[in-house]
Amino acid sequence: MKLLTCPMNGTRPLSEFVFGGEYRQAPDQDTCTDAQWAAFVHNRSGAPGDKKEWWYHSPSGTWFIAERNTLTDKVTRTYLLGQNNTTQEEGK
Amino acid sequence: MMFRTPKQVGEWVNRTKKINFTFEGEEFSAFEGDTISSALWAAGQKVLGRSFKYHRARGVLSLANHDVNVLVTDGIDTNIRADVVEVKNGMVLTAVNTSGGVKKDKNSYIDSISPLLPVGFYYKAFHTPRRLFPFWENVIRKAAGLGVVNFDYPRILKRKTHSHCDVLVIGAGPTGLTAACTAAEAGLEVTIVDENLQLGGSLGYNRAGDTSVMSRLDNLISKVISLPNIKVMSGSYAAGYYPDHLIPIVSEAGINKVRAKSVIVASGAFEQPPVFRYNDLPGVMLGSAAQRLLYRYAVKPFNNGIVVTANDYGYRVALDLLQAGTKIVALVDMRQTGSIVYAAALAKRGIKVYIGHCVYEAIASSDKSGVRGAVICPYDEKQSVALTDKQFTLECDGIAMSAGWAPAGALLYQAGTGMQFDYGVEQFVPSRLPNGMFAAGKVNGIFELEQRLRDGVRAANDAIRHLGGQAPQNDVEKHVGISPSHAYPMVPHPKGKNFVDFDEDIQIKDFVNAAKEGFDNIELMKRFTTVGMGPSQGKHSNMNAIRILAKIRGLPVEKIGTTTSRPFFHPTPIGHLGGRGFHSHRLTSLHDWHQANDAVFTDIGAWKRAAYYPAAGQSKEDAIQTEAFAVRKTAGIIDGSSFGKIEIHGPDAALFLERFFTGVYTDQKVGSCRYVMLLDETGVVIDDGIASRLADDLFYLSIGTSNAAAVYREMQRSQQMWQLNIGLVNVTGAFGAINIAGPAAREILSTLTDLDLSYGSFPMSSVRESQVAGVETRMIRVAFVADNGYELHAPMGQIPHLWNALIEAGKKHALCPFGSDTQRLLRLEMGHAMPGVDTDGLTNPFEIGADWAIKMDKPYFIGQRSLTILAKRPLRKQLVPFVLAENYKGEMPMDCNLVVDGRDILGRVTSISYSKYLDRCIGFAYVTPARKEVGSVFQIRADSGSLVAATVVKSPFIKTLKGA
Amino acid sequence: MPLRLLKFALSKEHPAPRFFKSHETPKKSYDVVIIGGGGHGLAAAYYLAKDHGITNVCVLEKGYIGGGNTGRNTTIVRSNYLTPEGVNFYDASVKIYEGLSEELDLNLFYSTRGHFTLAHTESAMRTMRWRAEVNKHVGVESRVVGPDEIAKACPQLDLSCSGQAPILGALFHAPGSVARHDGVAWGYARGADRLGAEIYQNTEVLGIDVKNGKVCGVKTNKGYIETKQVLSAVAGFTPRITEMVDLETPIVIHPLQACVTEPMKPWLDTILVSGSLHVYVSQSSRGELVMGSSLDPYEVHSTRSTLDFVEGLTSHMLDMFPFLSNVKVVRQWAGMADMTPDFAPIMGKTPIEGFYLDAGWGTWGFKATPISGKTMAQTIANDSAPDLIHSFRLSRFEDYELTGEKGAASVGH
Repeated sequence: MKLLTCPMNGTRPLSEFVFGGEYRQAPDQDTCTDAQWAAFVHNRSGAPGDKKEWWYHSPSGTWFIAERNTLTDKVTRTYLLGQNNTTQEEGK
Repeated sequence: MMFRTPKQVGEWVNRTKKINFTFEGEEFSAFEGDTISSALWAAGQKVLGRSFKYHRARGVLSLANHDVNVLVTDGIDTNIRADVVEVKNGMVLTAVNTSGGVKKDKNSYIDSISPLLPVGFYYKAFHTPRRLFPFWENVIRKAAGLGVVNFDYPRILKRKTHSHCDVLVIGAGPTGLTAACTAAEAGLEVTIVDENLQLGGSLGYNRAGDTSVMSRLDNLISKVISLPNIKVMSGSYAAGYYPDHLIPIVSEAGINKVRAKSVIVASGAFEQPPVFRYNDLPGVMLGSAAQRLLYRYAVKPFNNGIVVTANDYGYRVALDLLQAGTKIVALVDMRQTGSIVYAAALAKRGIKVYIGHCVYEAIASSDKSGVRGAVICPYDEKQSVALTDKQFTLECDGIAMSAGWAPAGALLYQAGTGMQFDYGVEQFVPSRLPNGMFAAGKVNGIFELEQRLRDGVRAANDAIRHLGGQAPQNDVEKHVGISPSHAYPMVPHPKGKNFVDFDEDIQIKDFVNAAKEGFDNIELMKRFTTVGMGPSQGKHSNMNAIRILAKIRGLPVEKIGTTTSRPFFHPTPIGHLGGRGFHSHRLTSLHDWHQANDAVFTDIGAWKRAAYYPAAGQSKEDAIQTEAFAVRKTAGIIDGSSFGKIEIHGPDAALFLERFFTGVYTDQKVGSCRYVMLLDETGVVIDDGIASRLADDLFYLSIGTSNAAAVYREMQRSQQMWQLNIGLVNVTGAFGAINIAGPAAREILSTLTDLDLSYGSFPMSSVRESQVAGVETRMIRVAFVADNGYELHAPMGQIPHLWNALIEAGKKHALCPFGSDTQRLLRLEMGHAMPGVDTDGLTNPFEIGADWAIKMDKPYFIGQRSLTILAKRPLRKQLVPFVLAENYKGEMPMDCNLVVDGRDILGRVTSISYSKYLDRCIGFAYVTPARKEVGSVFQIRADSGSLVAATVVKSPFIKTLKGA
Repeated sequence: MPLRLLKFALSKEHPAPRFFKSHETPKKSYDVVIIGGGGHGLAAAYYLAKDHGITNVCVLEKGYIGGGNTGRNTTIVRSNYLTPEGVNFYDASVKIYEGLSEELDLNLFYSTRGHFTLAHTESAMRTMRWRAEVNKHVGVESRVVGPDEIAKACPQLDLSCSGQAPILGALFHAPGSVARHDGVAWGYARGADRLGAEIYQNTEVLGIDVKNGKVCGVKTNKGYIETKQVLSAVAGFTPRITEMVDLETPIVIHPLQACVTEPMKPWLDTILVSGSLHVYVSQSSRGELVMGSSLDPYEVHSTRSTLDFVEGLTSHMLDMFPFLSNVKVVRQWAGMADMTPDFAPIMGKTPIEGFYLDAGWGTWGFKATPISGKTMAQTIANDSAPDLIHSFRLSRFEDYELTGEKGAASVGH
């Protein structure tokens, strides 16, 4: 079983976690077109690569962000949303 | 025990313990420590099994579980690997997959019709005419398969354990033992695992007639045992590699899941057979198998043998055989060069060596149960052909074969190791290892003993440095000199039967013909020929298959590549993998009461809920109607402890709810309750419930049972994004709930609380906190099952006390407990649609007529933007309440029956029930919007196909039909 | 023994020719380029030639034919879906499958064994009834049966599932079948090749040229190919192909795992599926139990195996068949499933002229192989999708008109 590091509870086996999908920024719902919104809610960037994802540590109820390569399944960083200490742009 | 030798140094058998068993009806004796195969071989029994496809007689090939020539059954278990399973006293064994016994297998005729069964024959015939296929299929299915499964075999619950270590060493041969010692001496926690019961690997049997190596092995083993930080797991195999160095170690007792910080793979190599006609006869075996028989079990492989070799290893085997008193008729070396190292030793012993020769074919004894000789020919090593014009015959009763090796690299491959072909050793070796993985010894292309020991030290040092320790970097030079493996040890024969894969009876010509048909890629070839697909998964066949394909295509071996390695290293029992099984259930604190009162339980999410309480002999339908009727006439009580219960604390609590749910909560008064509906971002209905405001900064949310965990999880995620000033507490397990409802509910309750229950001071949709029967209780007035209902939420542990008090107080009012199935009927009478029952994974709120619950003028809520899009689109379906005709006595439609109009499907019934109280059949159904108006009539097609008319009515039914 | 095997015994040289020709480099241009040499792509090539006379077609396969999900699935064919659209579509597939061995003159071992979807809860029973009702309406033989009928078809099954999940009933689907998955790809390859299509293995598509919203060519590791029509039929690689044409879709990739035991004599005659226990199992003609479970819970573009999968699956297998304790699992493997939000495929035209999509098969593309080949060939030939696949169009997502197979998908197969 793979290991994943919860930013609050440390490294734990994957069975303690729930995958929450890619972290995505919604378009402004007041200004976007219907088509843009439909694309946002339905479409996904399914191509392999480095992704920011939601993960949930079930026993402690912690949602956090993991940066993971979906091709290699390697996780490079995990952190609480908004506590990413680098200047990297969120949710592109 | 005609083939048993005098005591061998280091033998594994215990001669003081004699064992008796039977095989195919004959009695045999053995020593403790013998495997089934070694015991039979010692007694001169050579036909031990029959092959999968042609039912050819088979004996020992590898004696190492690298083939499945010998599978037996004891009548209880099947497909027992006789080569490696210890024989036990009293065993009654037979070979699997024979008809009439292993010696006279009636199915052996298939061998003689094998020309009719070319590679992939089953694709080429039996399908026309179509009507005959089932007949042929039945024949083929019956012929296939190995052992017969025993349907009475007990479920065996094996243990699973977990352990951790710094270094996991796989393989306890000289390389692995050395590596383990080096790592342990540096202070690391080491686990070493080996599938054999005793340590030492090939060092224990590959002796070249010189038993002095045994003292070296003893020294190594004593050192391992003396180091307290080495854990030895023998008789256990590493079954596969999983991410982050998780390696399940399988033993008789169960599976130990080892999480290692680093892994040293010192798993050695599988010996590969040279390929010549009748290389599968009993008595023809791998050189290493002959050595194992001899030194582990003190059994002579044969009396008068030939050694055929294409490397120097065969010479070592010959010396071992000589040491044991076996006569060597000749050593046949397929190479032009012979052995520089060992030629003299053999010459000294007077052994005839034929350089540049091959075994063209083994000659079967008259009853085909063994070998009586071999046809020897000069061998053109360049063209890989036997020069048959100079053939001659030698008599013998056995042949030992050595041609080369394939790395036991399964776990390396599974971990993602890059492998490249090293022509110096004619073998794939690791070229790019994953982080924390190391390889040493034969699997790393290092064969010479002293070098392997150095390689073990080197790998351990690499692991030590990987783990942050200090250790020298000591590279080990590559193999020099004669290659341990031959590049192409194949001898074509016009009549074939030169086997490459013994599991699947695949010959050289099968590869040639498969390639002719276009299956000339290693993966396609595997799939078409089935090479490597048998139970030994190509351990003895894949390398030769690759070499043959390379030759066919005129390509170097590395261009052919390998097939993908997958778990398991050895086939692993379902009982081991499944372990003890685990089914988690949640029980409410009233579970015992429900049980004592004969409840029928139903699974809702993870919870066990009481569905209804049938009286003796009462049907489900009756019980439900009785309970529901009681709620309408007097009062009923239900355990609602499984409901999801969530507290939202903080100044922004109302704001949070407004964003999360479709309604408005900022102006909700303390002490009041409001409906909540959750959508997803596409506008689909997920769940609903009730939000009770207990204080300005505290809401108490109760929602459905099955979705509670997921809804809470989504609330937490939303809070992560919104960062409002709130806190969320999931009190689903901390609080239980009881719903008491019906005309007498208020009166019953009033005897247990001081709270003013008058409708004026405690109206519908309000919440109060008060003591009930001495228990601090949150009381919610809801109309889910009846207009006069109270939900009482209290700490789970106090629920039984509260329940019993209510039951006691309700006695004179005929208070009736009811279950979740009854609740379904009651809420239907009340006209409440239930998410998950009356909605599916694509239902939006407009389709269930829940427009009233949606406040579009809020700045934001989940699903809002999608609703603006959906609102512009025509409705596709609409949920409507309906009734059947008064006094309807026809076939009762069921939920999920379709609403039809001729061939058109207009919708489906989602809930339907007879209501005793209303004396009517009522329900919900989806219909096309054209039929949604009150008074519309539509047709439901019942199970038998009959059409039942239904009429759309206004809900709640209870009001429409009773005016109540 | 059938007479047709005699020629193999009688002739000196192996008398069977290549299944399909081996071509070196693709031509400069083709009328249609099909990306993906799995069952779907090869079937499309076959029907383009057979039904529409379009033979100037090449199939480009990155690895070897049938090496993706065609060769990794558990070979179950059925049509007991939840939506009328789904049932009609898969029923058409079953009908072609039934005569396919004869049509392709290759024994696909298409074996109709009956298919039971077990229900252990009342809510599962509801879904079974729903499916049965829709199936019956469309004319597909499915019905809800009780424990007795299940026991009759599979007496070895522990109906109480070790007391943990008693079986209340099942959806019985008589046409449920298994087939030799590799053979399907090989048969279509041979058929397409004989009719003139060219198949290129080890040929990877590196890019797709789009000018003014129209497809004009394909870049490959074997050179540039001019074409006006491209079909993507690549299952788990769909997002990589759609990215080349800047097309957004809902598809995400999750691995789907399976495993197989060592062979034993036949005893399991039917195909069994349990949604609650996440198990589906049948016994192959070789005697192995072929078993699968639900989809992996997170996105990975990889065919790696996990221990959790096989532990969970075997544990539930033991609930159903306690006597299998010492039967051994030989091998586990995985495929990459292209999942859509409504568990229905995405087929037909796209906003890019000349770019056609055959994707989103999730866990059940094998069943659809013949009909998807046929309908995609029709779509390409007419530049217009037939009614049969209208509800699978890509634009349904923008239209908020999803298809709703999710209900049948808890653990379908």
